[in-house]
Amino acid sequence: MAEHKHGHGHDHDHDHDDRDHDRAAAGIGSGDYVPGYFEKLEMSIRELLVERKLIGADEIRRQIEVLDSRTPALGAKVVARAWVDAEFKKRLLADGRGACEELGISFYDDTGLIVLENTDDVHNLVVCTLCSCYPRPVLGLPPDWYKLKPYRARAVTEPRAVLAEFGTIIPGDVEVRVSDSTAKVRFLVLPKRPKGSENFSEEKLAALVTRDSMIGVVPVELK
Amino acid sequence: MPAKQELLTHLPTEFGGLQAGPVERVEHELEPWEKRCHALADVLDFHKIINTEEKRRGVEALGAELIGKLTYYERWIVAFANILFEKGILTPDDVAGKMEEVAARLGEARPGT
Amino acid sequence: MPAPQIVLAQGEAPIFAIGDRVRVAVRFPIGHFRVPNYIRGKRGAIVAVIEPAAVNNEEEGYGRNAGSERHYYRISLPMTELWPAYPKSSKDSLFIEVFETWLERI
Repeated sequence: MAEHKHGHGHDHDHDHDDRDHDRAAAGIGSGDYVPGYFEKLEMSIRELLVERKLIGADEIRRQIEVLDSRTPALGAKVVARAWVDAEFKKRLLADGRGACEELGISFYDDTGLIVLENTDDVHNLVVCTLCSCYPRPVLGLPPDWYKLKPYRARAVTEPRAVLAEFGTIIPGDVEVRVSDSTAKVRFLVLPKRPKGSENFSEEKLAALVTRDSMIGVVPVELK
Repeated sequence: MPAKQELLTHLPTEFGGLQAGPVERVEHELEPWEKRCHALADVLDFHKIINTEEKRRGVEALGAELIGKLTYYERWIVAFANILFEKGILTPDDVAGKMEEVAARLGEARPGT
Repeated sequence: MPAPQIVLAQGEAPIFAIGDRVRVAVRFPIGHFRVPNYIRGKRGAIVAVIEPAAVNNEEEGYGRNAGSERHYYRISLPMTELWPAYPKSSKDSLFIEVFETWLERI
């Protein structure tokens, strides 16, 4: 489960305990929660588009379900499968999207996927310096830090220093490759399988794989 | 102080290569309206009412002050409004009227008023 | 009987192939672009041809959803090429997708 630190990049007061979590379905405020200006703007635009039949009444709710079904567990499943099945790994590295689709992971946003293998010689790191491109169909939504200036500015200029801030030190004889996502292709890092995991089941392997290891900022470790 | 044209030739959302401080590993669980906003972006893209690239351009066009002051999804929803106005799909009056209606509806739901 | 000769439409065939040495063009559009300033004029190599050909995302940003599709290319640029302060002996590199019209053969 994601860390719940309070950082949106600016001061932002609200009390989570008062929030009514059913409001998303109801579309109406209740309890003590008062929707802010931008939420009312969102409600207004959505309702107008539905009224004018430009989008269907149920489409937003359905897409929220799609989004909720996309979590790092999907990526972890892909990684674990690649670790145990050499033929799958070959297909994954040749056609990332196609191999994920074999596992039932659809690419609702029609992006491509290239899977980047970390080896003893190469360490991959993924960033989007222009906005926040991220392999959402297979990892879910990105963390705030991935979308904020420090990561997006420095991952391309001093990747090793950025990795060190995550506690990841890459030896000098290992090549660091930074992928800056600018078009329709997204990237998933295939981390190195940790030593000591040789006898682990695929399920146990998947449980080791964290979101951040598939962005490339940390390795996968034995828990 | 950069030359004036650099304000145009360098996008306000473009960060690659700029000076910046350490990465703070902040994250938050999306609020329901933020998730609805993200879903709206996807649905607008499916219909090609606003494609993903138009959304990016719309956010860039907000300019540095709004980009700095609005949160991630606040930027998206304002960009959507602007693009829908540009395309003649909605008018500012449509949105203003609907926001009044929404506010009134919410006001009615509030206890003790 | 030999297979009939086909002629590809304009833009159908990729101009560049894996291994080609390229330079990112130097020009400064305003409005919307997807080629970051930090790679303009930098030299590298094609590592992949992205299929299929697709719309120029700089035009797509203004609503163009189809027409004049060309290829995007994944290119590699040495970090030492991008940043003067990067250690000279490093083999670290940056990979990025660039639309065909932004690349020049060198």
